[in-house]
Amino acid sequence: MSLIQVDNLWKTYDMGNEQVNALQSVTLKIEKGEYVAIMGPSGSGKSTLMNLIGCLDTPSQGVYMLNGNDVASMDDNELARIRNKEIGFVFQTFNLLPRATSLHNVELPLIYNGTSREGRREKAEKALGKVGLSDRMMHQPNELSGGQRQRVAIARALVNDPSIILADEPTGNLDTNTGDEIMGLIQELNRQGNTVIVVTHEYEIAKKARRIIFLRDGKIEKEEYKQVG
Amino acid sequence: MLIDIEAVRIGLQAIWANKLRSSLTIIGVFFGVLSVITIITLMQAMMDGIEEQLSALGPSTFMVNKFGIITSREDYMDALKRKDLTVEDMGAVEEGCLDCEYVAARCYRFGSVKRKSEKLRNVPILGSTANFIDVIDFQVEHGRFFTEMEYQHKRQVAFVGPTIVEELFPGVIDPLGKTIKISGKKYKITGIAKKRGSMMGNNQDNFLVIPLTTQIKYFGKPRHNLALAIKAKNVETVTNTQDQVRSILRARRGVDYYDDDDFSILTAESIMAFVESITLMTRVVIGGIASISMVVGGIVIMNIMMVSVSERTREIGIRKSIGAMRKNIITQFLYEALILTLLGGLLGTSAGIGLAAILGEMMSIDVSVTFLSVAIGMSISLLVGLFFGIYPAVKAAQLDPIEALRYE
Repeated sequence: MSLIQVDNLWKTYDMGNEQVNALQSVTLKIEKGEYVAIMGPSGSGKSTLMNLIGCLDTPSQGVYMLNGNDVASMDDNELARIRNKEIGFVFQTFNLLPRATSLHNVELPLIYNGTSREGRREKAEKALGKVGLSDRMMHQPNELSGGQRQRVAIARALVNDPSIILADEPTGNLDTNTGDEIMGLIQELNRQGNTVIVVTHEYEIAKKARRIIFLRDGKIEKEEYKQVG
Repeated sequence: MLIDIEAVRIGLQAIWANKLRSSLTIIGVFFGVLSVITIITLMQAMMDGIEEQLSALGPSTFMVNKFGIITSREDYMDALKRKDLTVEDMGAVEEGCLDCEYVAARCYRFGSVKRKSEKLRNVPILGSTANFIDVIDFQVEHGRFFTEMEYQHKRQVAFVGPTIVEELFPGVIDPLGKTIKISGKKYKITGIAKKRGSMMGNNQDNFLVIPLTTQIKYFGKPRHNLALAIKAKNVETVTNTQDQVRSILRARRGVDYYDDDDFSILTAESIMAFVESITLMTRVVIGGIASISMVVGGIVIMNIMMVSVSERTREIGIRKSIGAMRKNIITQFLYEALILTLLGGLLGTSAGIGLAAILGEMMSIDVSVTFLSVAIGMSISLLVGLFFGIYPAVKAAQLDPIEALRYE
């Protein structure tokens, strides 16, 4: 069984009289432990695909099996549970709570699955340690650099031990050096066994993955596999 | 989980982060609760005061008078046509009523009171029977009430309220046995009543009581309209006693079999019920006005919460993307609203009780802190918080996470 199995997936938006197909018959499989980049120009449907894979949205048609769960038919609360348990998001704009410390930001997903106070603290500290921010636990986002913020976001994505880490333009708001550092961290996480999906419009970023899925006009245009190394 | 500690924490954090906005909201609720509590507490105190006065009558005593409870001009005009309740009527009851322990009577006249150069005009001069002291809650401070003998012999003696003493005997330590002139006749003071203070602006200490017989002798019989206070021998059969008095009076006053009584029998209970019925409307209206201020407070809360939600759209998106369910978001915002309203309610309740106490002091009403007013204060703020907080909270929970995350 594949970790992600997407079959003939459609996403259609009603724009008044017109119907816009953001995704058309997308079929793909992603295995556990893969490092995949989804690439395409803006308007190609990559954000829509990411939202669907990330369970923020449900498809108009088609099947999406995530880790054996049929996600397409889930309601709001079940989706929330899946997002909490299976998905770790990393966003372009970090999306940290501005008035919360790094530690609290990383603890957040654990709050919503009812982890005890001690358990939360222990896991959050461990996750922050993994991204090299053990000394910044009590800092708020505005006291951190962009790269550090993205590390906090990655720690938050990791903390619940999700099936997938889903990164949407993770270097979009960072300078090249910091971006490289973050991509290095993501690569390292993949090496440790995490399944990683990076959504980007930059080939420089995408080519770090072992497999690139090219999207255009809501369809998969082609796929590219690279040798490990 | 009954109380979501995390939601309380988030709520407090949001409230603390927007101090000005939060305090304005709290003030909105504060004034709403303040007005409701002040009014409820004062009203309750007034009713308690009236009830206490009435209950001094005791359950076995009832009153008979000409007017009864007048609720309209028509009632009044009808009652005016009735014959006065006379000393002879009283005598008939005394004689005929076997179940009556005693019959007391009083009659109000007004007159001037003089001592040396001091003169008071328009003082209520009560003529009463000697046993009247047992019925009404006059308490004797000095001396005594007049006696049955003095009553029988139409003696010129007076039992006076403290205001009379203060006005006529400035600086005199013991006015007992001294003489005053009531409407030109000399009276000896036998006793002074204990101070009662004022009730709703009425000085209750400005009065004189003289024997009814003396009053009739000097003030004349016409327009001598008595109010009777009758104590039944047995509390259980007080209604039978009332019937006995009723038939005696009807017979004496020549009331036709099919006509209504031309007098009224009042009990403490019926008077209380009447007071409650006439104040009900007032209470409803004032309560309505107070509720409006509460609704205004509620709308302020709703407004602020809507602002809070839209300001934190992105935060809601973040929370949802990492697994917050609808109920988590609802709880978070509802708790924020509840903390604000409960804070406002707590402050408003305390201030309302304080204000009621101050106003009560000014109006000479005993105000006590009742569990009821605290409970009402807290529960209305809770309800307002829930009612006006739920909509913004549900709105927040319904936000689409994708849209919310894009929100700038």
